[in-house]
Amino acid sequence: MDAAGTLGTLRVGLIVVFTLLGLFFSFVSMTGVLRLPDVYSRAHTASQADTLGAGFGLAAVALAVGWEGAGFKTVLLLFFIFVTNPTAAHAIARAAFEEGIVPWTEGDDRR
Amino acid sequence: MWWVTDDAAESVTDDAVDADSAGDAVDAGSETRPTVVVPVEPSPTLRATVAHVVEAATDGEFSALHFVEIASWRDGDPGSDDRTAEAQRVLERVVAWAEADLDDADGDAGDDVAVVSALIGADEYLFGPDDYVDVLAEYAEEHDADTVLLDPEYTPVGNTTLLQPLEFALSNTSLTVRTAPVGRPTRPERLRSEATGVRFAAMFGLSLAFYFVLGDPLYWFDWVTGVATAAIVSITLSRISLDADPAVPRTPMRLVRGAIYVPVLLYEILVANLVVARVILDPRLPIEPSMNRMRVIVGSGLPLMTLANSITLTPGTLTVRARDSDLYVHSLLPWAREGLFDGGLERWTRFVYYGRSAARLPTPRERGDHAVLQGPDATEELPIAAADGGETDVEDAEATDTAGGAEEEVTDA
Amino acid sequence: MTLVDAGVAAGYTVADFLLLAAAGFTLLAIGMLYRAVRGPTMQDRVLAVNVLGTNTVVILAILAAALSEPTFLDIALVYALLNFLMAIAISKFTVERGGVL
Repeated sequence: MDAAGTLGTLRVGLIVVFTLLGLFFSFVSMTGVLRLPDVYSRAHTASQADTLGAGFGLAAVALAVGWEGAGFKTVLLLFFIFVTNPTAAHAIARAAFEEGIVPWTEGDDRR
Repeated sequence: MWWVTDDAAESVTDDAVDADSAGDAVDAGSETRPTVVVPVEPSPTLRATVAHVVEAATDGEFSALHFVEIASWRDGDPGSDDRTAEAQRVLERVVAWAEADLDDADGDAGDDVAVVSALIGADEYLFGPDDYVDVLAEYAEEHDADTVLLDPEYTPVGNTTLLQPLEFALSNTSLTVRTAPVGRPTRPERLRSEATGVRFAAMFGLSLAFYFVLGDPLYWFDWVTGVATAAIVSITLSRISLDADPAVPRTPMRLVRGAIYVPVLLYEILVANLVVARVILDPRLPIEPSMNRMRVIVGSGLPLMTLANSITLTPGTLTVRARDSDLYVHSLLPWAREGLFDGGLERWTRFVYYGRSAARLPTPRERGDHAVLQGPDATEELPIAAADGGETDVEDAEATDTAGGAEEEVTDA
Repeated sequence: MTLVDAGVAAGYTVADFLLLAAAGFTLLAIGMLYRAVRGPTMQDRVLAVNVLGTNTVVILAILAAALSEPTFLDIALVYALLNFLMAIAISKFTVERGGVL
């Protein structure tokens, strides 16, 4: 595949942008998991920011490997992450709920 | 309550005893003869069940037969008119059978037996056995019935394995439950009859396609292993993964509408993620989390899963628990909570599964189907296993430790 | 010349850039390890390991592109599956009454 030409430049640019966005949202996810006060709010960033971060990262990979077998696999992986991540977060939050962990509210000194 | 629960327990365990005691009841006086409710649904043993009920009635066990069909759909959904008409036809047929059997009965034994049919539960969505039992019990109370007689093959639409949970849930009510002693086909045959060819083919095609995305469709050996794998998957899972046959206008339409929904969802995720990212990266961490409850109007199964996952994917909201049609949603910000109660995602889910006309409905806020369970705006109590006492003492200590050098705070508190 | 060999800036190729990004993701994963170790509840740990796993999947995929090793993607797929199963299984078994999902 020829990387020269405007199309190639555009693709390289998109790869860079997507990777940086992926890194940014993964960073948000990590910050959230480290900073937020209880398991429920941590599950928020774990399921959402991280899903988006992984989504951008995988989109960059899909662009880099191109439209072939490996690209299909990456798209499949992307789709899979988008379905399983919220489900897993839901299962974890539900387990916490069933265990009787009370969600943190304002004024709770647990952090 | 005028019915006797001891009697109920006895008759569940032993049909013969039940028949005897019912006979005694007749001797005592026919005005005490109970009314029986029979939930019906097209099934291979429906005819035999009707015959059994009528026989029991002419023997003096029951004075009135109520055949009810429990609607698994909800009035106003697209296609509900067709399903209502279909249900009415089934009920008419059942009533015709019952009346014919009563006419055939010896003497005038069947003369004073009333046959009634009804379609119930169409004003709400029913999710599990408990919902069905609620509807049944309500109907039974209205009509002074104390016995429910089940067709052994009774399986309301879309719930292929409901009978046993239904029997169990019914045993918690004051109703007497009996299962008609009519020929139940053996289990392997039932499996074979329920696994439809369409479902099998759909599952087979899907798993084969997945296999070839990972493998190489041009290599003969991948065909051998792929077909074998897809066959195993579809044999074992086609009855579990799909609870309804894919239909030609419906399934492709859902896929098309789903394809419209995906970019919308992605945009929502992106925008909301940026808002939440700002909050999380804010040094003051201005969050106001709370648990909320929302009753949603989507069907059970796949639509509910789609909605719950969409809610989780949209930042600021996280589905903690889906219990029947009640979703317990944890929200990080009041902004996300308000967005949730506006019901945008619920409307989109209805659009994807039932089409544009079904998407017009009042928001949860307008319906009053929402509640905040925590914080200053709380309108309901949190239904959590542990009471809000000191159950998190250990956690408190541990959690405060993790904040690093926050021991002073503990002593303050 | 494939796309990963195309230049980004100052003589560095896309492959170099992707490797750098993979390093970034690895750092974030290590940060997540703190929550996995400290807890405080079981669910916190599962959550942290789940996020860590998702990060690992992305790292594997990026390495597949950067090093032109498409087989890494298969490993990433299996890893994603196992990661999901791990979260579900542990959630299910930590709750005494069971019944999660």
